[in-house]
Amino acid sequence: MAASDSILRWRYRYVPDHLLGEILTKRWVDNAIPLLILLLVASVFGWLIPDFFSSGSISSLMRQWGEFSLIVLALMIVMVAGGIDLSVGSTFALGNIVALTLLSVFGWPIWAVIFTALACGAGIGLISGLLVGYLRLRAFLTTLVTLIIVRAIVDMLLLKYSVAIAAAFVDSDLWYWFGEGYVLGVPFSVAVAIVLAVVAHLVLSRSRVGWHVLAVGGSRRSAHNVGIPVRRVICLTYVISGTLAALAGVLFASRLGGAGADTGVGLEIAALTAAVLGGNSLGGGRGSAAKAIIGSIIVMIMVNGLVRIGVTRGGSSLLLGLVLLIAVAIDVRWLKNRMKFLSKVYVSPTYAALPAAPSTERNSPYALNDRLRSVDAIGLDKIDGPEDVILDWDDHIYVGNRTGDIIRFFAPDYTRQEVYAHVGGRPLGMAFAKDGSLLVCIGGMGLYRITRQRQIEKLTDETNRSWFSIIDDSRLKLADDLDIAPDGRIFFSEATIRYEMHEWPVDCLESRGNGRIICFDPNTRKTQTVLKKLVFPNGICMTHDGQSFLFAETWACRISRYWFDGPKKGTVEPVIADLPGYPDNINRASDGTYWLALVGMRTPAFDLALKMPSFRRRMVRRIAPDEWMYPNINTGCVLRFEETGRIIETLWDLGGENHPMITSMREHKGNLYIGGILNNRVGRLRLEGSDASWTGQQSYWGQEPQKRQA
Amino acid sequence: MIRGLARIFDNLLGRGDAAVTVPPLDGALRPNRHLDEATFRTRLEGVDCLVLQGNALLASAGDSIFALSLNGEWSKCKSYPSVIACVVAVDADTIAIALDTGDILIDGGRLDGRQYRANPSATCVTAIAVSGTHLYVANGSATNTLTNWQRDLLERNASGTIWRIDLESGAAMKLADGLAWPAGLAIDGADLVFSEAWKHQLVRIDVSRPQSRQVLYSDLPAYPGRIASAAANGYWLALFAPRSQLVEFVLREPSYLKRMMAEVPQPFWVAPNLRSGRRFYEPLQGGGVKHLGMLKPWAPTMSAGFCVRLDRVFQPRSSLQSRADGRTHGVTSVIEHQGQIFAASRGDGVIVSLPATDPAVSSGGGA
Repeated sequence: MAASDSILRWRYRYVPDHLLGEILTKRWVDNAIPLLILLLVASVFGWLIPDFFSSGSISSLMRQWGEFSLIVLALMIVMVAGGIDLSVGSTFALGNIVALTLLSVFGWPIWAVIFTALACGAGIGLISGLLVGYLRLRAFLTTLVTLIIVRAIVDMLLLKYSVAIAAAFVDSDLWYWFGEGYVLGVPFSVAVAIVLAVVAHLVLSRSRVGWHVLAVGGSRRSAHNVGIPVRRVICLTYVISGTLAALAGVLFASRLGGAGADTGVGLEIAALTAAVLGGNSLGGGRGSAAKAIIGSIIVMIMVNGLVRIGVTRGGSSLLLGLVLLIAVAIDVRWLKNRMKFLSKVYVSPTYAALPAAPSTERNSPYALNDRLRSVDAIGLDKIDGPEDVILDWDDHIYVGNRTGDIIRFFAPDYTRQEVYAHVGGRPLGMAFAKDGSLLVCIGGMGLYRITRQRQIEKLTDETNRSWFSIIDDSRLKLADDLDIAPDGRIFFSEATIRYEMHEWPVDCLESRGNGRIICFDPNTRKTQTVLKKLVFPNGICMTHDGQSFLFAETWACRISRYWFDGPKKGTVEPVIADLPGYPDNINRASDGTYWLALVGMRTPAFDLALKMPSFRRRMVRRIAPDEWMYPNINTGCVLRFEETGRIIETLWDLGGENHPMITSMREHKGNLYIGGILNNRVGRLRLEGSDASWTGQQSYWGQEPQKRQA
Repeated sequence: MIRGLARIFDNLLGRGDAAVTVPPLDGALRPNRHLDEATFRTRLEGVDCLVLQGNALLASAGDSIFALSLNGEWSKCKSYPSVIACVVAVDADTIAIALDTGDILIDGGRLDGRQYRANPSATCVTAIAVSGTHLYVANGSATNTLTNWQRDLLERNASGTIWRIDLESGAAMKLADGLAWPAGLAIDGADLVFSEAWKHQLVRIDVSRPQSRQVLYSDLPAYPGRIASAAANGYWLALFAPRSQLVEFVLREPSYLKRMMAEVPQPFWVAPNLRSGRRFYEPLQGGGVKHLGMLKPWAPTMSAGFCVRLDRVFQPRSSLQSRADGRTHGVTSVIEHQGQIFAASRGDGVIVSLPATDPAVSSGGGA
């Protein structure tokens, strides 16, 4: 058993299976799959055909690709707005024949030829746009009809002028440069395609017009409700599509100088395959120039590769059709199931062997008792979830609640309460600074300060981003508890970077080192991560020497000490390595020792499950979240321990009558005030034999600040 | 072959037939709190089986039989040499008591003092039933004793047997074998109906042709226990522990099961229980976390109170329940007597009683 356990430990330390879930949360994963397909196709054909990527074959391929990708771009723009343009192939042929006719037969100057060809394409696009955008006809049928009509026009033009085109010779170097020349070492059509792709990407992702197009494709009704001119946007996309298709036709004309009856026939199918393969959604709203480019490269490689291998024309069309079918099927399934797949795959449990749990029998320091039975309840049923409790110089109680308020209970009887400040988020750990302002860690927001005039200021909500983390860990997801060093630096814990506030117990199922401790310096206003890879760091408490603090790692059931100053600066030392439960907040006690809250107790069945990560992974995937095995956070207790780690006393509430869950306790003038994150009360316990004048503020800052406001 | 491949795929992904599902509580089994709201509650620590002898209601608890007196108190009648497994009435003045050693004693009446035994190895008698000349005995498991029923479930054991003993001669004949913890017996005419707990179903067996079995109701949402007849053509079924998705999942994880049964003490297993939630070393499920000091009634739980009223063809008609936050869990025996329904809750050590004319209790859905 020991050998297999250590194999398990090595496997889970070095194989990062949490990366899959993190990658799936990223927005660029939509591009990653087409990229993988591209690499796969390129490697397959590169292996099958020996000189596929040699410079000679590449060069002609690249010019073809330049024209093809313009058409795919055209199609992508229309698709992203929720429509489809089947006439791109015919418009391409029209641009081709118009350019050749005007140049060869009528002898127009080049700029006029190009302008007219593009105008023809724009005109075709305008007709489609008016029909689909303004008259609300169906895009598929309308553009199919346009396809047929434009094809007919092309045939008529061919009939009339093909002989003349074939006989004529265009005497213009500029014209041939379009089709055969280079710009900065890159073929001209490729340069045009790249430039237009970059422009399209910038417009779609960073300009208002592009956002309008994406909005119309995403949800037409909502876009209309917001005030976007939906019909104008749709018409615009068709005009652009027609223009780009005609531009591709002009470049084709320059390259080949001829027109046949089959120019551009079937091009729309290939372009559609390319657009969908790249990841542009057929329903609209999801697409980008990068996806179009990737898709066009894939199709280009496939079509030409198949030709080089020797597959007949019908065969390659068949294969292309099959690939389109598969791509559409995957597109639809992926859209529907991505979030479901992500929710199943995200939780990545790891091997976590805790030391043996100390017993709670009679002769152990953790022996069960009833000392919390006589606790008074403050605000019973009038407070929702006081995670941390703190008292000020006037003995008023401050707690955070579940709905984002800091509630103040007025001394001396604590029957009256008011909302001291509405901060939002989920207020967690609190501390009073030297000047009497209240510092609070807000889960979901960051570190905030409430001044004595009740002004809410944000101190920090970001830290330095680590280089190799996929999750953007510069944001603070779950700032938990804080404490203030004598020089004013604030050390606070971020419990986990992988889970949000509302799903914090799921981090226990992982038991990974997902948390960190961060330091904020109010003098320089700089935030820096101090300790990383901690297992749900929670409570933080400054020790009396002013050079170190104690911190709790909840799921690892241990207390450690970190020196941030002095000769041992930067070292971490274990203080208590094996608790019988899950530690939460730590605070100072009046006699130089420390109070610790255990938010839950370890259970043998769950401790065993922590050693079997594949069991937990299957559990997460196969049964409902309500049924998952959880750490037992229904029972808690309060401990007092000293700096060496020796447990002095334990206070229990057996049966969970008064305090089923305890997350924090604060000693103040001879009483212990108890809070729990899911409780409906604040508890107060009279501490016999303790200093009746001791307060936390005195212990930290000495005297009360001079200036006082109500 | 397609089906075989599909089954392998399903097992891998945990869906289809391999999916972990538990039937929802709906229709006749809709959740309610009738057991907790019962007005009459008496404590009897360790109460297990209720039986009617003539007009007197008797209860077995530990190794003694208790009787219900007129003022509603339970008083000890008689003690036996070993813990009582179950009790059944033979006729108006005779009861048969099965001990956990496997012996069956007759007390009172013509056969007073007789002792029967199904089999030297049958030491796990879960239920007995009497029909005129014969005594039917259900033996839960060939390898585990009564107190180790959780181990029997987790081992996915199916070694239970049903025996028929002739009351005059004492000869025993095995009727059925390979059953997954038969826990309740009822006589229906010439047939015997038994509840198969780990397969959560009710099965009918023809005594003259024991090979023919007919499943009457499968997929109960809890593990069925003893069956008793109701006043007006029907039966009462006591279900002693609820099924839960986590237990169903753990049953499909052999490596975890093996280690858990070896390393974790038995009270703290991930297994259904007669009474759970008393000690904090028991496993907790996500929905069982207390919010604002309250345990939600619909929280997943390893114990619950559950009695079902069956009609003549053994289909559920209504139910009496005690939910996750209730205090009447682990009902092992239900009986109807003088217009009152008595339920013995072994998990909490109480006997509750409701009037049988309660509209929620008579045929029709639960409230």
